[in-house]
Order: sequence, then structure tokens, then C-alpha cells
Amino acid sequence: MLKKTAINKISELAAVLMEKGTLIAPVKEVSGHNFAQILDPQKVDLDFYNTIMSPKSAFFPHKEDFINYKVGKPISEAEPVVLNLKPMFLFGVRPCDVKSFQIMDIHFNAAGIIDPYWRQRREATTIFGYAFDLSKSVDSADFYNTLGIYAADPDGSDIFMVKKDNELLLKGITLQGKKLLSELTTIENGKAADKKYFEEYIKKGRDYKTRFMCLDQETITKKLEDIFHNTDFWTRVSSACLSCGVCTFVCPTCYCFDICDDTQFGRGTRRRVWDACMFTDFTLEASGHNPRTQVYQRLRQKINHKYSYHVRKYGVISCVGCGRCTRYCPVSIDIYSIIEEAIKT
Amino acid sequence: MAFEPKILGIACNWCTYTGADLAGTTRLLYPQNLRVVRVMCSSRINPSFIFRAFQLGADGVFVGGCHPGDCHYNTGNLYARRRLAVTKKILEFAGLEPGRFRVEWISASEGNKFAEVVQEFTAQIKNLGPQTKLKIQK
Amino acid sequence: MADFKKIEENLKKEAKRLLEAGEVTVVLAYSKGFDEKHPMPYAAKSVADIKNIVFNEYCNHNMARYLVRYPQGTKIAVAVKAADSRAVIQLIQEEKVKRENLVLLGIPVYGMKNSKTGEVIDSKTTSGLCNPVLYDILLGAEVHGQKIVSPYEVLAEYEAMDKDARWEFWKNQLDKCIRCYACRKACPMCYCDPCFIDQSKPRWADKAPQSPGNMMYHLTRFHHLAGRCIDCGECSRACPVDIPLYLFHKKVAKECEEMFGQAAGMKLEDKPVLVDFRVEDSDKILE
Repeated sequence: MLKKTAINKISELAAVLMEKGTLIAPVKEVSGHNFAQILDPQKVDLDFYNTIMSPKSAFFPHKEDFINYKVGKPISEAEPVVLNLKPMFLFGVRPCDVKSFQIMDIHFNAAGIIDPYWRQRREATTIFGYAFDLSKSVDSADFYNTLGIYAADPDGSDIFMVKKDNELLLKGITLQGKKLLSELTTIENGKAADKKYFEEYIKKGRDYKTRFMCLDQETITKKLEDIFHNTDFWTRVSSACLSCGVCTFVCPTCYCFDICDDTQFGRGTRRRVWDACMFTDFTLEASGHNPRTQVYQRLRQKINHKYSYHVRKYGVISCVGCGRCTRYCPVSIDIYSIIEEAIKT
Repeated sequence: MAFEPKILGIACNWCTYTGADLAGTTRLLYPQNLRVVRVMCSSRINPSFIFRAFQLGADGVFVGGCHPGDCHYNTGNLYARRRLAVTKKILEFAGLEPGRFRVEWISASEGNKFAEVVQEFTAQIKNLGPQTKLKIQK
Repeated sequence: MADFKKIEENLKKEAKRLLEAGEVTVVLAYSKGFDEKHPMPYAAKSVADIKNIVFNEYCNHNMARYLVRYPQGTKIAVAVKAADSRAVIQLIQEEKVKRENLVLLGIPVYGMKNSKTGEVIDSKTTSGLCNPVLYDILLGAEVHGQKIVSPYEVLAEYEAMDKDARWEFWKNQLDKCIRCYACRKACPMCYCDPCFIDQSKPRWADKAPQSPGNMMYHLTRFHHLAGRCIDCGECSRACPVDIPLYLFHKKVAKECEEMFGQAAGMKLEDKPVLVDFRVEDSDKILE
């Protein structure tokens, strides 16, 4: 099933989706685009390259309240926070970011303990993937090709969207997506020419090149294991690192968090907040000992986690090459160059 | 019900706090809106105390110390004067009403002044109304 | 625009000389990043590293930030632009580094650009000086005849605002904060370990990126940098969500200059204003 709508009528589609549930889509902010819950359909803006923050916050918010409690009362009186989700529509997600959800599913929805918050949100959500605009030049920080992802990869999306001049073509990919699309009666059906355009666009997406290197999982994993103790290498690549949390916070596949209690005047909330392995206090133990006091140790941990430990444990690299960490790093540290250098070492 | 502000008073042990004692023993009347915390010296006050007080619902913050030159530790209040002046400018540029933060030098013998300052400050805060900007919303 | 190629050549030449002669063990400068517009801070430790050094209009990073990372006593050469040299002076005043361990490679420059937006940063987001305040070796001709704009000029618009409008402005800006702490990490003056916000006893603010904690973090940071901020603007450029932190820092710097008659990082013999006092300071500053 293929449908289409004019780009300048996107607010009408947004309004329909808002009636059906919660719509999360890119909006223009002062510094760039970001995903946000849409309250005014006019705000949806698809004229973006990629958002600053990754869409992971739709399923794994920066701050998630778990329970509200009163000091001095038994735990049985604490009130758990119930999600009460309406159907969610995550609109305009780039193919590399769509892939990130599959990696995050490993941690929150498959291996070991299942996270009910992630799962409920994930199950309630229909993902509208959105191909990169092939007529525009690629950002020099991106390298999703290296991770086997293409600019117009419908894999993982429920509905995949492609821009055709002033129109937006929507195609149902999964059953859930097809069903939703058939319910969207206000937008017109695509013609045969549109179908052809869509298929060709997906194919053309394979020729839209980001930075690329031949990255064999086994080789890179082994290599990183070999150079773990090569302090010279790690000190060199981290000499500029400020050890801030930008890279982890904008990353679509970083999932570390901290559980915090926020108590005031006898009432409190226990919540989960994003944490970053680049923070000094990330590994600080209650005894006062900190196993990772040096910047190079923290950067090494970050890169090893994504490209080595994660492969050993779950069989995939925990990176989708969206280029955000490189783009927003205050000192332009480039994970791609580090991996490239590591292979050569 | 009329608005009764919550005012935090941070007073130095040697002058203002003793001054407050004197105001009490001389049976001077002053509003009960002031909650006094005693510190050893006005320079012990971390500016974060003041920000935090506003966040936790103070409608005004008053700081009292020894007169310059009178400090029990010789120079503590001279440092405090500079520091608290900066605090005041920061609160002002952030957009908080300037009248909500006040610093006064009150010596141990100035029970009268203490009572007067508290009366005046409380009236001023009542005039300004509840502080909602920095206060953490529940 | 300044002659960037010439500066780069001189930078390489001096770095080579200093490393060869063993006068320093590390040269803090810039190297190529993933593209032209994104140079990186770089620590050249041997003559072989020198070929990587670059200098162009995007080399905004304040290299003084990295000085405190090396053990006391390390001989370091550091490339400094105007604001960066002030940071070095401030760090010397605060006894974090010693003058005799440093070789300052001064870079007189104007027309530096923000790599995110491409706009020229002179005087708007940085101190408006072109020539380093302190240096041992100057890597280019001193800049003269540039239009002098007060670094505080950008503040006029915000000072004129009504207090409620200003509150709205700052609340909206600081609500954007994601608490990645890039501002404090990019800041040459933020070297506390642990930072007050990382302390758990007392816990000054909530860890979650929401209004009260953000406010506490930023207001306190503005205060901690009072009279110490040398106006390099790195905090604002490091910010992934573009909070104009430089405005608040400039305002506090301006007030400190007016009240105490001294700008941060201008003279080696000065003391930072908040660890200093004068008996004749006026009580008027408290009004």
C-alpha cells in the first residue's frame, strides 16, 4: 500500500495522527531540529537533515519517574507511576536511527530483564521512517554505510516515507504500518508512477555514500582487545577529549542510566536519569574508589563498549553511524577516525 | 488569608545573631516571618545556600553580618561583601526581583536595628508577593 | 582576515624548535579534525607530531583548558589567542600552573568563526581582543586598527529587558539544558574535582535535566566564574543545544569590573576579585 500527501499539507496528516494518539515528530528549535510531542500540528517540520538529540528519548526518556513516595511510610504505600499510553506515532525517523531501536531492544526488550517502560512504549508505537534527502549532500560526520545502513533503508520502520518533490510518499512496511495507513483515509492513494519512484528511491539510496570503511565485526573486536593496554594509543586519541557527556546524550544507542531519589519536604520521586560513561562520577564507588579516573580510560571504555564488548556479548556493533557524537563533540572527536586508526595500529 | 512570607535569615554568630538575641531580650517586636540560621561568619555563606533557599520556597533571604572592620575573624565580612554583591547581581540578571535579597551589617549591640530591618524587609516582601520564579513547582 | 597560513607555519616552526631543544615536552595546538571546518585540540609530543598541526579560522578551542591536565612541573608550550592568554594569566593567578613552566605562543588574530554556524565570533561571543595579553613568542603581526567594540555591547538588549521578560528568557534557555556538562568541561577555569554538581553530600541539585536542577547548576556556575571568566565563549560553542551562556558570564564579568575595577586575567600580579577585598569597598555594591 502506498499513499501520498503534499509536504505543505503535512499538518493535516499530523492532526489526524494526533486524534488517534500521541504524535512525536521533529520540530524546529532555535539550535536545530529535535523530536518532541506535537501539540500544534503546524509545528511538524520535515525540513531537517537529522535531529540534534536522537529519537531514543521517545522510548527511553532522559528522565523517567518510577515511583512517588513519602518519607517514613512503608514501601507498600509508594505509588508506582503508571504510563497509560495512547497509541504513539514516531514520525520522521531517519533510517540509521530506526536501526538503533533494534539494538536498544536487545537491552530493554530481549536479553535478561525486560524493561516494562521501554516495552510498553515500543509496543504502542508506529514508526514512520523517513529516507534522507538524496538530492542534498551528506553530512561529513555521518558514516552509517560503514555499519551496513543505507540512506533509504525501510528496514525496521512500520511505515516508510520518501520525499518526492513537494510530496511525501508513505508506504506500509509491516502489518501494523499497513493497517494504520489504510485507516488514514484523508490522504490520497499513490499512483503507479509514485510506486516506481518509491522503489527506485530505495535503490538509489544505496548509492548515496557516507564515509565508509570495510568493517568486519570480528576483526575490529579482536583488534580492540589487542590494543586495550596500548595506553599510548588511547592517550593520543583522547588528548583532546573534554570528558563531557555530549556524545553519549546525543547517541541513539547509549543506554546507561542512573537511579536517583529526589526527596523534598518528606515527599520524593525515584527516577531513572540518563548517565554517561564519560562523567567522572560514573564509576565512582561508594568506597570512594574510582576505577576510571583518567580521560583515556573513559574514552576507551566508550569505544570498546560499542565496538568490542557489545559484539562479544550480543553479536552486533552498538553504533549506527548517525554521526551525532562527531557532529556535536565540542572538540570534534571522531569515533570513525579512532576506529580507522585502531585497525591500522 | 493574607500572604505571610517565608523569609530566611542567615546571621553571623558574633554580631547579627547576638543582635537578634538583644532584640529578643529587650522585648522588641518584629515579624515572625523570619527564620534564622546561625553561621559562624557571613563569609561562610555559600551563594548556593541562597539559590537553594529560593528554590525551596523562601520569599526573601536576609543576610546579616558584622560591620566591616568589626569581623570576629578580621576580614571575613570583607570577602562576604564582594561575594554577596555578585550573588545579588546574578539574581537580578536572572530576573528575580532585586528586593528579595538583602544584606545588612548589624552589630551585637544593635537590637533596635535588627528589629527595624526585619520589619522593613518583611513589609517589602509582603509587597512583592510570593516568590514563584525560582521556587520548585510541585 | 588574519593570515592563518603564516600563523600555522610559525606555529609549526616554533613547536619544532621547542621540542627539538627539549625546552618543552608538549606543545598544545590544533590538528585537523574530520573535516576542514572541525579542527581539534592537539597535543604534539614529538617532532614527528608537528606535521599534524594546523591553524585556521575555526580553531576556537581554548587550549588553556588542557594545562591543568598535565602534572605540575611539566614544561608546556601552549598556543594562545587573546582570550586564551587571559585564561593562562588567570590560571597562574590561581596557582594552578606556574609561569616558568609555560611557553606561550601568542596568536594575534581576528575573524575567527564558529564551526557550527559559520558566523564570526569577534567581540560578540568572545572578549573582543585581537592580541594576546601575555606571550613569549608572537606568531604573527600584532593586529591594530580593528574596530574596537566593547565585549559588553551585546548585553544592552538584555539589560534593557523587564525583569520578568529576562526571567522568561533565561528559564526558556536553561530549560533546554541536557546536563551534558560540556560547558564546564570546555571551560578553562572549571577545574574543580569534584564539581559541586557531582557532589552527593550535599546533593546541591537533582540530576535530572529539569528546571530546578538546571537553574541551580547554571546560577552557581555563573557565580563560581564571577571575576574569573575570561570571556572566551567556549561554553556557548561547546553547548549542543546552543544556550547563550556567554551572555550571563559577560554580565557577571561586567558587574565585577565595575564593582572591583579589575577584569579577569589581565595582569599576572592581580588577585582574583572574589578571593580579595579592599577595606574601602563600598557598601553601595550591596544595594
